[in-house]
Amino acid sequence: MAIETGSSRFLEPDVRVLIQGATGRMGRQHAALMRAYGTRVVAGVARTGGEKDIDGIPVFGSCADAVARTGASAGVAFVPPLAVLGAIEEAVSAGIGLIVTVAEGMPVADAVRALGLVRSAGVRWIGPSTPGIAIPGRTKLGFLPDVSLRPGRIGVMAKSGTLSYEVCHRLVLRGHGQSLWVGVGGDAVKGTRFADVLPFLLRDSATDMIVVVGEIGGTEEEELAAEMSALGCSKPVYALIAGQTAKEGVTMGHAGALVFSGAGTMRSKQEALESAGARVFRRIQDLVDAVTTAHRP
Amino acid sequence: MPLMLLEHDAKAVLAQCGVSVPKACLISSYEEVARAPIPLPAVVKAQVPVGGRGKAGGIVRATAPSAAMLATRELLGKTIKGHIVREIRIEELAAGSECYLSLTLDPRTGLVRVLASDHGGIDVEEHARSGILARTAEFSQAGVEDAIRAIGAKTGGSFEPALQSLAGPVSRAFFTFEAILLEINPLFVRPDGTAVAGDAKLVIDENAVVRNPQLAALLRERAAAYPEASLKLEHGFDFVVLDPCGEIALVTTGAGLSMQLVDEIAARGFSAYNFCDIRTGQFRGDPARLITVLSRIASGSRVRSVLMNFFAGVTHLGELSRLLLTALERAPQLSMPITVRLIGNGLDEALEVLRAAPTRLAVEQDLERAVSLALEPLARSKA
Repeated sequence: MAIETGSSRFLEPDVRVLIQGATGRMGRQHAALMRAYGTRVVAGVARTGGEKDIDGIPVFGSCADAVARTGASAGVAFVPPLAVLGAIEEAVSAGIGLIVTVAEGMPVADAVRALGLVRSAGVRWIGPSTPGIAIPGRTKLGFLPDVSLRPGRIGVMAKSGTLSYEVCHRLVLRGHGQSLWVGVGGDAVKGTRFADVLPFLLRDSATDMIVVVGEIGGTEEEELAAEMSALGCSKPVYALIAGQTAKEGVTMGHAGALVFSGAGTMRSKQEALESAGARVFRRIQDLVDAVTTAHRP
Repeated sequence: MPLMLLEHDAKAVLAQCGVSVPKACLISSYEEVARAPIPLPAVVKAQVPVGGRGKAGGIVRATAPSAAMLATRELLGKTIKGHIVREIRIEELAAGSECYLSLTLDPRTGLVRVLASDHGGIDVEEHARSGILARTAEFSQAGVEDAIRAIGAKTGGSFEPALQSLAGPVSRAFFTFEAILLEINPLFVRPDGTAVAGDAKLVIDENAVVRNPQLAALLRERAAAYPEASLKLEHGFDFVVLDPCGEIALVTTGAGLSMQLVDEIAARGFSAYNFCDIRTGQFRGDPARLITVLSRIASGSRVRSVLMNFFAGVTHLGELSRLLLTALERAPQLSMPITVRLIGNGLDEALEVLRAAPTRLAVEQDLERAVSLALEPLARSKA
């Protein structure tokens, strides 16, 4: 199900951003890093009170106040996993249109409730368990690492943070940067899925090709393949799928990465994506070589 | 994260919520069988968290105690679909017509899919595709209960009263234990409309354990049966032994990249001892987590090389390197070569720290080269 945010772009490069959990260790650190990167961090939100600003960024007691005073329309939540649902509820009711939640470990029941909430409000939610999203050189919401970010022509969508850092870093070393990078997160229940991002990348004139960093388990890769066929995917898609050696019943870190009796297997993903026209790789370097052979930076 | 409970625990949960399950005992050593009250005729079942155990030889019928003991001896320690059998459930053979009932959370829609069929058993996928009854419910206990009742109303014979009486207990189990999937197959339905769960697959949400006393109690009581989940609960990171005979051990951060490294090593013809997502971002100056991981690696009897990979998005590599040296000093001595791949913030400082280290570490910045380097000692002996 694609969610229309009212904007034809997935992420506006000059969007005004507020930080939830701004006075916590992570919130404070990443607010500063994001601002240093160029993100318009206009407000912090913190329950605890006491601090009027963090490094010059005004801190408010609620999202509603922050939105009213600064015009923020996007938010990044640096709150613990059990507080993510509450943070989303608050951001949605304050009128925030794009919410990024980075915390790992959000209970599934909370994620289901958050999903219902953002869908009925028409809000885009990235997460849970995401390193964030970025338009390299312009803005980043979250903590995608600078060594992997570079302006370029690849639209990236990834379930895994670290694996996408590695893939993009190697591509950057070969001169290929990104037009948009969306970390959808490794959880099973999430705000934004691969298939939701695809239409934006296909419409976006700054994107020439798409790199997908997938993972065993779940059905997101299969849904993406169906969406590629439905939309008539006109741009080359390169996909890497991790977990080919994963055995049934063993969870390897990510919530989505657990295989049950055939659903979400490597074979099912590879077949679906290839029949929709994507090239599927099992080794990082093979994908990097294929991209650099087919495209000049 | 999803955690599949062993059948024995899944049935305990169901029984607690009011679903009938066969009389049974749990055995973890051959010596215990002789003393155990074996219900006859019995089904001897390997407790491993996978589907299709029957087809994989993990389920044996026995009509005499001697046969049950023999089956137990053969199953204990056996590997089924990659899992070593450490426990056996011996339960009374149930009778009735084989039906099917399952509840699945659909991650895409956030709704619960209820499936039921009066043709269950091991070939349910093939047999019941046409005759399966499905209903989608909103994510609530009442919604799921209503859906099961509605399906029940569409069936006939003894399956209908069976579903009506299961609707409450099954939906209660699903929500009380924050399940993602609950499947009862076969569900033995007797002519009088009562039912007993022949097998049970219950996948719960590990993320909910910290706030759910029922789940926490279950994992605490059965910590030994769920070593990885217990480690995660206690220490906050993932470590899974993948191949006890694996010769290369991993100290890595990030689930996706760690999983991919296991794949890349397999693609080069080797087998990783473990999967690990150590989460460097949570160290906060404490080497404890590194020490725990190094100790676990030291107990891998065939490990002859260690590959560490730290792609530091945020973590400062200088600080990480100092913690690593402290951990190497305090952990059991590792005699095998260690390859460290570092990239990110504070790389120069990290290189300086590691160069001055008393422990000899091979440091690499390129992951492909680091993997090759780490596999070298293994490749030499293979050739």
